[in-house]
Amino acid sequence: MPPGLDNLKHIVVLMMENRSFDHMLGDLSKTNPNIDGINANLSNTDTAGNVVKAQPLAQFQSQLDPDPDHHFPAVDLQIFGGNKSAGRAPTMQGFVRSYFNQQQDVKHSQKIMYYFPQNKLPVLTTLAKEFAVFNRWFSSIPGPTICNRAFAHYGTSFGKVGMDLFYANEPFKSVYDRLISANPKRTSKLYYYDQTSSTMEIVNLLQHQPELFGTYGQFLNDCERGRLPDYSFVEPNYSDHDGDNGEELASDQHPDHHVQAGELFIASVYNAIKGNPDLWKSTALLITYDEHGGIYDHVLPPACTPDGFVASPNDTGTGMEFKFDRLGVRVPAVLVSPWIPAGVVVDRVFEHSSIPATATEFFLGDYDQRSPREKAAERFVERRDKPLDSTKNLLSLDVMRTDCPDFELG
Amino acid sequence: MTVIKVPRPPESAFNKERRVSSLLRTQLEHLQEAEFRLPARDQTNIYINAIKTEGEAAEYIGQVTAKLQAAHALKGRSKVKGQTSRMPAIAAMAEKKATGNRKRAAGKSKVKASGRRR
Repeated sequence: MPPGLDNLKHIVVLMMENRSFDHMLGDLSKTNPNIDGINANLSNTDTAGNVVKAQPLAQFQSQLDPDPDHHFPAVDLQIFGGNKSAGRAPTMQGFVRSYFNQQQDVKHSQKIMYYFPQNKLPVLTTLAKEFAVFNRWFSSIPGPTICNRAFAHYGTSFGKVGMDLFYANEPFKSVYDRLISANPKRTSKLYYYDQTSSTMEIVNLLQHQPELFGTYGQFLNDCERGRLPDYSFVEPNYSDHDGDNGEELASDQHPDHHVQAGELFIASVYNAIKGNPDLWKSTALLITYDEHGGIYDHVLPPACTPDGFVASPNDTGTGMEFKFDRLGVRVPAVLVSPWIPAGVVVDRVFEHSSIPATATEFFLGDYDQRSPREKAAERFVERRDKPLDSTKNLLSLDVMRTDCPDFELG
Repeated sequence: MTVIKVPRPPESAFNKERRVSSLLRTQLEHLQEAEFRLPARDQTNIYINAIKTEGEAAEYIGQVTAKLQAAHALKGRSKVKGQTSRMPAIAAMAEKKATGNRKRAAGKSKVKASGRRR
């Protein structure tokens, strides 16, 4: 077994908010052609008939206001360009039109095509270049936050395509429940930023199992003291608010929150793990985004294994039912570990079901009571209890790296 | 080893008066659903439709999160209390019987005193 997998004791997932791959990492294709990012041919047509190219003009704040629509009907327009015929295929030609629908401003609607030059996002782009970046990590549903985050916790959204609540007593346990009720018992924790930011989507878990939760301060403490659980899920700060130590800036990168605050937060999570040498050599950190937030991406979302649920035409708001048989828009995803060589680009298709699939199979092995979608999902960390497919193992180095970057927070 | 400096956003980035996004609005609704399952005395009585800004939303979210955790902790404590008191209850029953026998033997007034204590 490769030493990276032998040493692995902890998986940490940080899920940010509402940015597409092209918007955040698309510029990297200029320096690494293996990364499927922005090229000169990418464009949408606006409602005045102008061809709008993808341009490196994204700003940290005040540009995507109002918040681009990313509910199911809007994403349907973004992906299919308004085509509702049977047998339609994705074109990714409806982003500008969708943004125009919000305030009928042609010039403003063009901003949905803007992306960040890599020097503006030193943390995320450095991690993507230094470790493994995923060319094909898609949101699980062409829809908004809540249903997509559900896939990261449960491997399904239980038939939901919107922002509805998820109650207990659903057929599949959360990944946290699976781990803490296993025999032998495993450990797992959800770290929200603070009590005032709290948790998103899994209020039912907060209500019934608050012991699963900790704050980001506890995460930092657990990292420092080497008490991190087997599996951790970290949530950013979802709002600007007053905290015990003064002003707390939202770090989720959800428009119109400041993107640099999210950069600092990502760097802080990385530093906390890297700051403890024992933890650093035994941890894999995945950084991803729940969905694209209505922002342009050029890669066509592929078909996927249906998860057995069907959303009605009324629920989708498109007049068409949805069988959970295709993925949402592509999002950034980066896997960090000192056992990953620099410059790895992963071309396999991942989505958020890959998160519970990886944690469950790595820590528990075979586990039957899961959605068909999750069972079919690719893992970002290979199992130790099965013969290894070395072509899929990302923690592939024989010797741990000592040249990994450090972040100095401003 | 490369050291990368990560700039801090300007102070002007902070705006707790920013209007609540649909995401935060959803979080408020989810927490309110959970709050409504708490005993009435533990509810905030905050009307969430009146919440307009991120700062106000955060205030409500923080209060309800704390209340949910406190309610669960209380439930846990009373559960533990119930579980641990079972054995003493059995012991108390045995003691009561024994005391009753002794008290019957000792006289009526002490039985009443024992009854008041219960």
